[in-house]
Amino acid sequence: MRRGRLQTRVARHIAFAVVVSLVLSALVLVVFRHRSVQRNMEQSARTYASLVSKPLARLAGFLGSSGRGILDQQVAALRELNQDVTRLEIVDVRGHIVLRAESGAVNVYGNGVDPPTITDGEILRAISRLESTAVRITEPDGTRVYRVVAPVVQQWGTHMYSLVGTFSYDRVDRQFRSSLWLSALIIMVGLGLTHWVSVTLAGGITRGVERLRTGVQRLREGDLNERVSVKSRDEIEELAEAFNAMADELQNTIHELREANRELETLDQTKADLVANVSHELKTPLTALRGYLELMSDGGLGAIPGEAQRAVMVCRKNVQRLSLRVEELVQLSHLERFTSLDAKREDIALGPLLESIVEAFRPRVEERGIDLVLRLNNYLRLLDANCEQIERVFLNILDNAVKFTPAGGSVLIVAEPHNHEGRDGIQVRVRDSGVGIPNAALVRIFDRFHQVDPSSRRRYGGMGLGLSLVRNIVEAHHGAVWVESQEGIGSTFFVWLPAVDETRRLPTEDRPSVRLDTDGADRHVVEEG
Amino acid sequence: MARVFVVDDEPDMVDLLATILKADGFEVDTDTDGRSALARLLAEPPDLVLLDLMMPDLDGMELLKLLRLDPKGSLVPVLVVSARTGHQDQLGTLQLGANAYICKPFSPRELVRQVRQLLAAHQGETSA
Repeated sequence: MRRGRLQTRVARHIAFAVVVSLVLSALVLVVFRHRSVQRNMEQSARTYASLVSKPLARLAGFLGSSGRGILDQQVAALRELNQDVTRLEIVDVRGHIVLRAESGAVNVYGNGVDPPTITDGEILRAISRLESTAVRITEPDGTRVYRVVAPVVQQWGTHMYSLVGTFSYDRVDRQFRSSLWLSALIIMVGLGLTHWVSVTLAGGITRGVERLRTGVQRLREGDLNERVSVKSRDEIEELAEAFNAMADELQNTIHELREANRELETLDQTKADLVANVSHELKTPLTALRGYLELMSDGGLGAIPGEAQRAVMVCRKNVQRLSLRVEELVQLSHLERFTSLDAKREDIALGPLLESIVEAFRPRVEERGIDLVLRLNNYLRLLDANCEQIERVFLNILDNAVKFTPAGGSVLIVAEPHNHEGRDGIQVRVRDSGVGIPNAALVRIFDRFHQVDPSSRRRYGGMGLGLSLVRNIVEAHHGAVWVESQEGIGSTFFVWLPAVDETRRLPTEDRPSVRLDTDGADRHVVEEG
Repeated sequence: MARVFVVDDEPDMVDLLATILKADGFEVDTDTDGRSALARLLAEPPDLVLLDLMMPDLDGMELLKLLRLDPKGSLVPVLVVSARTGHQDQLGTLQLGANAYICKPFSPRELVRQVRQLLAAHQGETSA
């Protein structure tokens, strides 16, 4: 999940720090407390032993085994004074136990009875020297105890005594365990709190970043009015300000570009209108000239004397040339329309298109006795192309071929499937038996306003615009055009255009049907005209 | 003899068209103003109209529209003569009800061929 990933990461870091410090401090607290409790217990055990030693020894010495009831009572009273004491013994300097008070029972070992003795070396040494000592001992059954030796510095008969008190750590350990449990509980509660706190804290830190991210996304989706407001007084706020400045600049630039583009479009429209008007202004007088000249030369206006006949022919020829120039001017003004990449495309069948173009040339070639042949392969695939543009391509190439082929020559057009650099498509060859093109001129023949021989302009007409238009259109369709030629034998123009890619087109099948309909109507009308 | 009505604001064009058609034996009426032409067309519908598109005041498109709105002018064949060669222009006039379109500059032979073709088609329709 991408959303909030940063927040999660920051929260995790915060939580880690908090939890580690929480656990550490709890452990330290518990351990220190345990040690101080234990020290207290041992301290009070030693104090207790030294306090109790004298009265207890006195009890043992005076009472012997005769006053058991009072002894038991007194011992019980002494034991009440310390919670941890488990056993109290009065021992003589040889280590023989005189009295032992343990779990409510008091045993007194008098003369004649073989008394139990203390075995532990360190304790014995302290007893024999009548010194105070205290040791932590682990009993044979595994329990830890604190044993305190307190000498009774008083003499009865021949013996001197010491008190050996045994104290249990049970209470201390219980307290340790309960503190452990308490701190574990505190940590558990702390974990819950930590989660909440860290997520909230992290949210505070990453809120600015999240806003920036949303802003960038909106901007990328095209909402140029998007601005980000972050008041965190840190690098993120600086970043947000930089982002806003960038968005301002972007918006301004795009606005300016749109304005400029709109102006260009207006200018372009004005230019197109101007050319349309100029060509109209030129065409109307040309039509009048041409019509009258044709009527005259056809004898429609009565017979013309021989010399005038020639003059009329010259006039007719020049009007014809002027008409071509005007037509080229219109073409030039529509150059962008013919070559723009986003011109309306549709699926077109090249065969019928070529047939209609050849038909349009029929009268002209018959007049000059040129043999015009079209050979169509039966398996031509559809082209994804602009019909008007493709028509212009073959009109220009054919016009060129017919123009440069002398009377009685031949022009052959062949259209067949052809694979060009790994792509399927259609190749159209237009072979003429014309004057041919010199090798040096072959490369430049598709350049604008280029004609092989400046004098041929006069002879054959045209400004050399036709073939450059051909190249522009073909390249806009991702096709290729080239020429092979031999001077005096003829030229062959090759046009290759890519076929409709059936597999790639499948997803775009649901194009608006209205558009397809109008396209159909358009084509229908064009064929009719 | 078929009567052809020529509407064009250029007197020379009117003259040329009339000359071509008369040479081919048609009866020709002419007008250089859209409004008066429309009135005359509706008063006495001819067999065919030759119509220029770019005219001051009432242009060819408007005239065609008004002509087709009137029952008397709705069936008269109209051949548009224009310098506009764009497909959109041709499509537009044909949608408005023109029967055919010929671009300037045209050859007289082509014009006569188109006129005859239109008249033949129209006569075939009305007699059928």
